[in-house]
Amino acid sequence: MAAEATASPGGVSHDSGEHSPRSNVREQDRFLSIANISRIMKKALPSNGKIAKDAKETVQECVSEFISFITSEASDKCQREKRKTINGDDLLWSMATLGFEEYIEPLKLYLQKYREGDNKISTKGEDGSGKREAMGLQAANQPGSSTQGEVQMLQQGSFAQGMGYVQSQMKIHIHLI
Amino acid sequence: MRQAGMYSGILSGKTGPHSLPLSRIKKIMKQSGEEVKMISCEAPLVFAKACELFIEELTARAYKMTVQGKRRTLQKEDIAAAVSATDVFDFLVEMVSASVGDVAGEAAEASGGAFGELTDKD
Repeated sequence: MAAEATASPGGVSHDSGEHSPRSNVREQDRFLSIANISRIMKKALPSNGKIAKDAKETVQECVSEFISFITSEASDKCQREKRKTINGDDLLWSMATLGFEEYIEPLKLYLQKYREGDNKISTKGEDGSGKREAMGLQAANQPGSSTQGEVQMLQQGSFAQGMGYVQSQMKIHIHLI
Repeated sequence: MRQAGMYSGILSGKTGPHSLPLSRIKKIMKQSGEEVKMISCEAPLVFAKACELFIEELTARAYKMTVQGKRRTLQKEDIAAAVSATDVFDFLVEMVSASVGDVAGEAAEASGGAFGELTDKD
């Protein structure tokens, strides 16, 4: 009993070694910088338009809320489909689902550009998934090809199951992979 | 530094020299829930652009309110007005109404007073 009690604090099964829930998140980690927000806001205004500081701060909060809103929906989808990694297509799907359809087209173009560039750079991807475009579909069929193969499989799975109505919009996208 | 080098070529193509910081976006994504643990390297990139579109749309809609009020400086209240006028921004309603809470409080007081007068008359 005593042993159990002493063991439990150490053995608490927050097996999220890399990320335990942070209650005390630093301010600068919760938001994008005011400078960035302000720069983008100005693009949407005429040259004589001005922006109050409180408006910038409100938009700053709204952007973080937007990221969480879309991410949560994507995360739910991943859980339903028993996948662990949220990918770009999940986010596009979320945005389409939550009413931001008009973002999809520009985002696809943007991703396309990124991928074209990424192929040249190949192996520098943050999570190793930068490699997967270069490795192509074959990777998924190789049994022991570890993470890249797995990511690729998951990616395929996501297309097969979830894409449904977004599929027509995704054609270019799928061709790229 | 490494990442900036990697992405800047692509980003500068359409979005100008600075895009939004991907590591920050990733952090914000991870804060949206405990179950969000693994994020593909493409996901923050999608958000870098999506957030730009979002900020531009929100700002443009808010500035319409500014113009309607015959002003030139976009204020917090304009954003609140744009949010309540736009269906897809419904998820922000609580946030903007909370941040203009003090104003709402005053308005409630004022309307309470008016209501009082009305009942007096009756």
